[in-house]
Amino acid sequence: MGFVPFLAVCLTFEFVPIFFLIRGSFLDKATQSYTLAHYQALARTVYVNSFINSIKISSLTAIIGVVLGTLIGYAIFRLPKEGFKNALISLSDVTTNFAGAPLAFAFIIILGINGVITQFLLKYFNYELYPAFSIYSFSGLVLAYTYFQLPLMVLTIIPAFVGIKKEWQESAESLGANKIQFWWHIGIPVLTPSLLAGLTLLFANAYGAYATAYTLVESQLSLVTLQIGFMIAGEVRHDPGVGMAMSVLSLIIMGLSIVVYQIATTRVRRWAK
Amino acid sequence: MTNRRTSTFKKARTHLQLWQVVLIALFIFYMLLPIFSTYIFSIATRWDRTILPEGITSEFYQEATKASYFSSSLRNSLILSLSTILVSLVIIIPTVYWVNVRLPQAKSILDILMILPFGIPTVVLALALVQVYNGTPLGRTPQLLIGAVFIYSMPFMYRPVSNAMRSIDALTLTEAGQSLGASTLQVMIQVIIPNIFSGIISGSLLVFATVFAEFTLTKLILGARFKTFPLLLVEYTRINGNIAAAFSVISFTIAWLISLLILWIGKKGQGSSTQAPTAH
Amino acid sequence: MAYLELRNIHKSFGNVTAVNNFNLDIEKGKLVSFLGPSGCGKTTTLRMIAGFEQPDEGTIRLGNQDITVISPNQRDIGMVFQAYALFPNMNVRQNIAFGLKMKKTPKAEIEKRVDEVLEMVRLKDTAKRFPHQLSGGQQQRIALARALAVRPRVLLLDEPLSALDAEVRVALRGEIRRIQSDLAITTVYVTHDQEEALSISDQVVVMNNGIIQQVGTPEEIYRSPATRFVATFIGTANQFFGNVAGECKVQSNGLTITTRKLSDFSSGQKVVVLVRPELIIVSNAQPDTNSGNTIPGMVETITFHGAVTRLGVHVNQQRVVADITMTSSGYISLNQKVWLSFKPDACKVMAVDE
Repeated sequence: MGFVPFLAVCLTFEFVPIFFLIRGSFLDKATQSYTLAHYQALARTVYVNSFINSIKISSLTAIIGVVLGTLIGYAIFRLPKEGFKNALISLSDVTTNFAGAPLAFAFIIILGINGVITQFLLKYFNYELYPAFSIYSFSGLVLAYTYFQLPLMVLTIIPAFVGIKKEWQESAESLGANKIQFWWHIGIPVLTPSLLAGLTLLFANAYGAYATAYTLVESQLSLVTLQIGFMIAGEVRHDPGVGMAMSVLSLIIMGLSIVVYQIATTRVRRWAK
Repeated sequence: MTNRRTSTFKKARTHLQLWQVVLIALFIFYMLLPIFSTYIFSIATRWDRTILPEGITSEFYQEATKASYFSSSLRNSLILSLSTILVSLVIIIPTVYWVNVRLPQAKSILDILMILPFGIPTVVLALALVQVYNGTPLGRTPQLLIGAVFIYSMPFMYRPVSNAMRSIDALTLTEAGQSLGASTLQVMIQVIIPNIFSGIISGSLLVFATVFAEFTLTKLILGARFKTFPLLLVEYTRINGNIAAAFSVISFTIAWLISLLILWIGKKGQGSSTQAPTAH
Repeated sequence: MAYLELRNIHKSFGNVTAVNNFNLDIEKGKLVSFLGPSGCGKTTTLRMIAGFEQPDEGTIRLGNQDITVISPNQRDIGMVFQAYALFPNMNVRQNIAFGLKMKKTPKAEIEKRVDEVLEMVRLKDTAKRFPHQLSGGQQQRIALARALAVRPRVLLLDEPLSALDAEVRVALRGEIRRIQSDLAITTVYVTHDQEEALSISDQVVVMNNGIIQQVGTPEEIYRSPATRFVATFIGTANQFFGNVAGECKVQSNGLTITTRKLSDFSSGQKVVVLVRPELIIVSNAQPDTNSGNTIPGMVETITFHGAVTRLGVHVNQQRVVADITMTSSGYISLNQKVWLSFKPDACKVMAVDE
C-alpha cells in the first residue's frame, strides 16, 4: 500500500511517457502503422554528425577526466594535511555542480573573442587565439565539459585510493614485491573497477548535458541532446518521430553506460570487504 | 646509534612533493578561474580590452535586480523548488519507511528505480512527457513540470533519507512503538521523522539546489510561460553579458551557501556527501 | 648463536616509548609468542622484525645477517596479518603464488609448491575461488599458506585469530601449531589472548608498557611468574597485601600467612602474597592443622565455568577466589560458611613498590 503513490508517480511521469516514446519512434503518425522510417531518417548527415559529435565529446572528456582526475585525485590523496585535503574535496563537490549556462558564460568571459585569456595571450605573447580557436566550438565545449568532469572523477577516485589497504602493500612487500610490482599486480587492478566506473559515469554525464552546450554552441555544433531539444521546442520543422528515434538510441547508449557503471561499482564494493 | 633507511613505499606523509604542488595548483587555478572571472565581470565597467578590468561598478547588480523579470523569475524558481521538495517529502519518506519496515524485498527494486533517472537524459524525458501529454489536461502545465523535476531530483532526496532510516533501525523502533499501542502512521510521524531529520534536511537542500539551477526541463516543457531564474540568465547571456554575469554570481552564491549548509548539517548528523547535479 | 636475535631495541613514537630495551634470542624452529595487553609494544616489535618499522636503536640479526636496515621485501619473511590481507583481485591460487612469482620461480615449481601448501592447510578445493567467497577462517588459512609458500626464514603472525569466532580460533591455532612444528619454521606469534599463547608456544615473552616482563616456557610463566604483572595477567591470582613478619610469615590485614622461606625480603617490607585459585582447598568443616594456611569465610558468589566452579569467598576484608570441581568439595551454596586452606608452597611472594 505504501509503495503505490510512488509507483503511480513513476508510471505517470517516467514509464508511460518513455513507453510511448519508444512506441512513437516506430510509429508513422499519419498512417498509425509501424515503420522504421524514423530510424532510417537518422542516416542523414546532420543526425549522424550529431551522434558522432556527442559520442566524441563524451568519450574525449571522459578519458581526459579519468586520466587527469585520477592523477589529481592521487595528488590530493597523498596530501599530509587533512584540512587542506578536505577543502579540496569540498571544492570538487561544489565545482562539479557548477555546470550549465553560468559555466558556459564564464568560459565566454575567459576565452571569448574579448576574453581574459584571449587578451592575455595577445598582450604578453603576441599570440592571436582567434580565429583558429573559438570557444563556441567543439574544442571550446571540451574545455567547458572538462571543468565539471574533472572534479567528478576526483570525487570518485579518492575513495578508491582510500580503499587500497595498507595490509595489501605490506603483505606484498613481505612477499618480495617492490613498489612498482605492487601497483602493477595489485594496486592498479584493484583500482580498475573504480576507473571503469568513473569512465562510464563521466561519459553518461557528458552525453546527457544540454544547458552548457545550448548556451555555448546552440546551433553551431550538432549534438544529440541539442537536436532533440530543437524538436521539442518546435524550432525546426521536423517530424517528432525522428526525435523519438534519436531518444531511443540515446537511451540505449545511456542504459549501457549505467549497466557497466553498476557492474563496476558492485565489484568495488565486493572487493572492499 | 640510530638507524636510517629509505623506505620502499611506506606512506611517507611527511612532505609535499613537487608534482603534487604543480598538479594541485593547476587544478585549483582551473576550478577557480571561471568563478572569479564571472565575479569580476559583474563588477567591471569595461573588461574587453585589458587583462584587468578598467573600473569597478555596482551598476550591473543594480540593473540586474531591477530587470523586469528578476523578482518574478526568482519567485518562480523558489515556487518550483519548494513544490518539488514538498512532493518529494510526501512521496519518498513514506515509501522508504514502507520498504524498510514492511517490504524489505522491494529495497533492491527501489534502488534500481532511483538509479534510472541518471540513465534518462533530461531532453529525452522532456520530449517523452511533452509528446505523451500534449493535448491532455496535463500537457505543458506547471504540474507536469513538477512531476518531471521530481523524477529528475528524487535520487537526491532518496539517498540521505534512506541512509538515515537505515541507521536508526526503523523496524525495531516501529515494533517498539506498536508494542506500546501506536499505529504505523503515528510511529512514522512521531518517531521516525524526528529521528531522520538531518537526512530530511540534507535531502531537501540537495533537491532545492538541484531544482533551483534546473534549466532543461523547465525550458523545454514550459518554455517562456514559466520563466525561472536560470532561464532569465540564459536570456541575458544574449542581451547583456554584464547583467548575465551578475545573475551568474547570484545563482552561484546561492548554490554555494546551500553546499555550506549541507556540509554543516553533515558534520552535525550523519550527512552523506552526495552531490546535486545542475542543469548540464 | 640464536637464529633470531634482537639486541637493545628501542622505539618511540613522538613522546611515547613503545619498545624499551628489548633483548631476545629465538632459536631456530621454535614458536615464540609475544603476549601482553594492547599497547604493550608486541606488535611494534613484530613489525620491526618484519621491517615495517625501524628501531630507533638496536640491531636485529637473522641467521648470521644483520637485517636491521634491510627493506621488508628482501628479508625473506612470511607475514600473516589480523585482517588476512588477501589480494581481492586474485584467486586463491594466484594469491599463494604471488611471493613465488616475485622470486621468479619457474612456473612448474610454482604449481607444485602451491598445491603443497594448499594441502598443508587442507583447502585444496578452494584454489579457483576468490577471497570474498571464503569465510574468515578459510581466508586466514590461505593467508598462512601464502606466507609459507615462499619458505621464509621466519614466520610472523600479528594477532592472526583476533578477527575470528571463538570456535574457529581454537581449531585454527591448533592447525597453525601443527604446521609450524611439522615444518620446524621459526615463528613469532603476537597475541593478547593468554590461553592462545600458553597452549601453542615453545616460549612466551610477556610484555607490558614496552618492556619484557618475563621470558619462559608456558609452564614457567604460569607457575613462576617473575613480576606481579605476569602473575596477575596470566591466569587469576588472589593478592594478599601485607608486610613481612618473620622468616616465613606475612601479616596481611590481621591474617598471618605462612609462606616458604622469605630470604629475599627484609623484615617489615611491603609485599604481596599471590595464590592461584586452583591451589585453594574449600571445605565445609575446619580442616586439620596440616593443611597449611586456613581461613574462614563466607561464600558470596558462585560462578559455573563448566569444568570448574569459581567461588568468591568473603574473607577478612577481601574477596578470595577459589576454583573447585564438583568431585572435590561436595555441595556448596551461597552464604555458606566455608574454610579455605592453602599450603605455604602455593604462595608466591613479591615485593610491592609504590
